[in-house]
Amino acid sequence: MFKQPPREVVREHMKLILPDRTIRVADPVPATVETILQREGINPLEVMVSRDGKLIPEDTLVSGDDELRIIRISHGG
Amino acid sequence: MNPVPVQQDPPACSVCGEPAVIHQRHAGRYLCGTDLVADLEQRVAGTIASQQQVVPGDCVAVALSGGKDSTALLVMLHRLFGSRDDIRLVAVTVDEGITGYREETVRSAADLVRKLGVEHITVSFGELFGDSLDTFLKGRKAQACTICGILRKKALVAGAKRAGATKLATGHNLDDEAQSVLMNVLRGDLLRLVRDSGRESSGRFIPRIKPLTYVQEKEIATYLMVQGIWEDLPECPYAIHALRREVRSMLSGIEYRHPGTMLRLLENKKIIETAFSGKAGGEAVGRCRECGDPCSGETCQLCQLLHSLGR
Repeated sequence: MFKQPPREVVREHMKLILPDRTIRVADPVPATVETILQREGINPLEVMVSRDGKLIPEDTLVSGDDELRIIRISHGG
Repeated sequence: MNPVPVQQDPPACSVCGEPAVIHQRHAGRYLCGTDLVADLEQRVAGTIASQQQVVPGDCVAVALSGGKDSTALLVMLHRLFGSRDDIRLVAVTVDEGITGYREETVRSAADLVRKLGVEHITVSFGELFGDSLDTFLKGRKAQACTICGILRKKALVAGAKRAGATKLATGHNLDDEAQSVLMNVLRGDLLRLVRDSGRESSGRFIPRIKPLTYVQEKEIATYLMVQGIWEDLPECPYAIHALRREVRSMLSGIEYRHPGTMLRLLENKKIIETAFSGKAGGEAVGRCRECGDPCSGETCQLCQLLHSLGR
């Protein structure tokens, strides 16, 4: 039997840049920013989130190969 | 069948329809950068006007740490009053002497006043109290915020007096104020809960004003970010010891699940303040027998602290 070569699967990954600047790869399935933050244990009121350098509200839907930067806003002192 | 494309645009601004940058959950609306800036400046101008925080002839000392709240405060006050001949603004920065933290915020403060062309006075703990906060806190890190709070208050007043100020403006926001209400309740400190530092002082102390009282911390950060003024500064290394840190985290979680909680805390504080007016909160203000500064007991907090630090 003729065997087909495996198909090349190009999988997209969402990139999260966390407040401490570590990078996390997230599931590309569409989700709101709020859901993603909650998965990371982050309260949306304590951070701002930008996508491609533009701030977005927490109920924006993100997916695919979006790159999200999470910026912490609370500083003591 | 092709999958339905995911709509990824941010929600539209409730005012102009442009992509929003923030969801104002307490108001139930979305705002773009331009409308957020306009909204915040209008609300702050409204707070100042309704409480007559600034009047013609005032010299306003603006406490400028260089952090986000004081930066936003100075930017807003400069836009409101910068071109007025009858109101003077002077920025006052306190350098506590916190290695690895304060250097950057002091630099940020200096950059801002240079850009705005605002007069600037810097006072340091070393100059006023003989040593840096780092030195005072050796072996006392758990009391960091209490010790720093008392010294910083005195230093701010010293800077404001040097400026000839009639008002002292601080960048306390809604989150800070709500946290303070809750902290005073948790400590059982009713007197502090009902004390009003903005009350008529008959010239004994410089009245404090807090124009950002009704603005949330996230709104302030976003206000700076959309204007390109945001700086990602380090966190105070002593903040980990603070009760405020725990209260902040708890209250912020409650506010997120129940929008309006912080505002209700503040409104309740006002009701209690009114109920206690002329009673516990209205205790007589005298003079410290050692330094002569206004205080409610025989010796002020600062003199008591300096004794305990062996000064």
